[in-house]
Amino acid sequence: MGAYNREGQLTRVVKASREQERERNSGGGSNESTQQRQPSDPNNPDGADNPDGTKAATLPPESRRDLTPFPLDPQFISQPVLSGWFKDQIWKQVILQGLSVREVSASLGVEMSRVAAVVRLVEIEKEWKRINKPLMRQYHQAVMNMLPKTLWNPEETTEENRKKTKTHESINDLPVHVATGQQIFLPTSESRHFTRKDAARVFDAKLLPADDRVPHPELAVMHKEVLEELSDEERKARAEARDASEEQKRKVALARQAKKEASIKKVDIGRFEYRFSEIKVDDAGKDGRGLKGVGWRYGVPLMDRSRGQHKIPRAVE
Amino acid sequence: MARKRFHQLKKVKFRATWNKYNLYNLSRLSMPRTQSLTFYQQKWKAKSITRAYHGEQIREKQWQRMFTPRLNAVVPMDHRYLAEFDGSELAAGRGSGLEKPFDAEKTKRKQAIPYMHQTYAPIERRLDMAIWRALFASSARQARQFVVHGKVKVNGEKMIYPGYLLNPGDLFQVEPEAVLFATGAPKDGPQLRVGRRVLRVRRNRNVGMEKLRAQMAERKAAKASDKASNKDSSKALISSKTPKTLLEDHFEYRKTREADLSTMIQRAEWKQHAKSKMLSAKRKQQIRAFIRHAKSARSKVFRKPFQELEKERLAFVEEFRGSVGSNTLDKAWRQAAKKRAAENSVETEAGAAEGASEEADAPKRTKTPYGERVAEEKLVALEKRIAAMRIQGDGVDPSKPYATPWRPRDFMSAFAFIPRYLEVSPKICSAVYLRHPVARPGLTEVPTPFPGEIQQLAFNWYLRRR
Repeated sequence: MGAYNREGQLTRVVKASREQERERNSGGGSNESTQQRQPSDPNNPDGADNPDGTKAATLPPESRRDLTPFPLDPQFISQPVLSGWFKDQIWKQVILQGLSVREVSASLGVEMSRVAAVVRLVEIEKEWKRINKPLMRQYHQAVMNMLPKTLWNPEETTEENRKKTKTHESINDLPVHVATGQQIFLPTSESRHFTRKDAARVFDAKLLPADDRVPHPELAVMHKEVLEELSDEERKARAEARDASEEQKRKVALARQAKKEASIKKVDIGRFEYRFSEIKVDDAGKDGRGLKGVGWRYGVPLMDRSRGQHKIPRAVE
Repeated sequence: MARKRFHQLKKVKFRATWNKYNLYNLSRLSMPRTQSLTFYQQKWKAKSITRAYHGEQIREKQWQRMFTPRLNAVVPMDHRYLAEFDGSELAAGRGSGLEKPFDAEKTKRKQAIPYMHQTYAPIERRLDMAIWRALFASSARQARQFVVHGKVKVNGEKMIYPGYLLNPGDLFQVEPEAVLFATGAPKDGPQLRVGRRVLRVRRNRNVGMEKLRAQMAERKAAKASDKASNKDSSKALISSKTPKTLLEDHFEYRKTREADLSTMIQRAEWKQHAKSKMLSAKRKQQIRAFIRHAKSARSKVFRKPFQELEKERLAFVEEFRGSVGSNTLDKAWRQAAKKRAAENSVETEAGAAEGASEEADAPKRTKTPYGERVAEEKLVALEKRIAAMRIQGDGVDPSKPYATPWRPRDFMSAFAFIPRYLEVSPKICSAVYLRHPVARPGLTEVPTPFPGEIQQLAFNWYLRRR
């Protein structure tokens, strides 16, 4: 909608024609021949001719304004979505090639959460195909025709080519932390080497520096190693060490989770599975109003009927 | 009170729908004139026009509770910059970075984060809004209806609360038929007519659409097999199943029962009020009792099971004979009965008053499909019609609530965009809510038709310092 003006004309076409007009006026009659030769040149690099000899009426290239669905709001644009082929490639890399979501995200320039979601959705699609559930192909086609797309470029798989072309989205987004919203004047010695880490500590004692808060901290680390001119073997060894420590962390987390699960006694009676967990009476505290206390306690009001309380589920599974 | 017009043209209010009038209103949408307004009035106006679009289906109080002054934003970081600098260069010089020669291009490239566009971000977290944003419904209200009607699943479980706040990673699925209905073009004249006919047949046979389709397919298969094995009729008999519709349940049958009872009551009433003949008190009592019974039975004729109706029928004939008497038929009544019988050859039950014919008919009726023939004829005609439609275009199915073959509804493309916080798979009508919408430099993820100035005024309204 933002691509059109009030008269319903494509703004970029109107603008291009106006520019041409201006060019013609400023050029005068001296270079008439060149004017005639390139009436749509700036907009139409591949000035294709129609078979009947007339110049093809090609459109000037789309700009950001042409992607704004709302004419009053240039800040919102219809951003491209992943094409079907791109999604299939993501699924292949994660499921068939066994790459981690993090690796695929970094190599393709797609957010990690999106990579995971795409894999999930493609899996469902395959399941539908398996059980012969009809896919909504016509609807899919129609919707994809209406949206800008990020197409899969096989050349992009190599590092150099990918740098040239733009990626689907920025993958290293640093969330703006609430603590950083304030402006702080911190007097400190002139000679102090004041880094991002120090700045984060000033904002909040527990705030991590930006290097650790971005989704892909490993990219900066790898780049640093390249700058240090480490040998390939050394970089490989470091990467392996990083992976090992990550794995260790994951193992610890899994073990903790397993321990927690094990503490719940499960009784399966076929229709239901009862789960018993240990409860301490003392959890209610001395005054009986502790948050961890369970059950109905005398004198403690139940808030579940009062206004503004959540009565609908807040999470599914 | 129900509102008069949702898409009014006089006062431009942009709504969360794909309606064509709404598109026209979007083209006419302009910044409100604020020169002559007080600050309070400006805020009120901004709130009013933005709320007409953002969560119009949510009560104001509910939204006020959802509102938060915290606005989410992200800044894309370059990992190369993070590796090469530790941030100390920003504190060099006099504490605000080493002075560099003025670079106009660099300052131009730096874009502000449109924080104010995040005012209505909490609404985008609602399930109904997410469904609408994923292009599965043509308006936020329709999305809400889909949820309420149980057509939406979240993480594989049915979710009936449109106000469910999605969590990052939640997968929601909408029933494909509902999506096709919401986004497809409406049926035009002939398809609409045939569709209505299908609906009528379905109602008459008292079966669901799925069952009706199955029946029609079965009939078609039977016919095909019949044609294929014309020589060996026994084979065809085995392969083609008889339609499973219970003629006992049939609407036509019940309708005829009602007509019978009506004629019997009418006849009894004639007898009751006839001045030519004096009746004994006992006879009068019998007639009154019969009328009472017959009327109560007539009122229940569409509710009772068939077996009871069938039993009752014979009992009524007996009672009618006993009370009214079959040997005192009026000439007019006989003529009327004849006329009816001639008119409706299918409904051979016209002579209900005549007990003898009634009894003679009874065993026959239990054997032959009663009223079934009508429906069968209708069904055959319908099948023919559908076959004719199929010649015109493949995939035509008038029983669907949208134009077939499916095509997107008009003006859909003007409203089509998928914000980045959703990952949508239209092929399976499913989407994943990746994260909460954020603002980034020069770009917002909350789809809004209003510029930052209006959003800011609305934001100030909800800060509750007026």
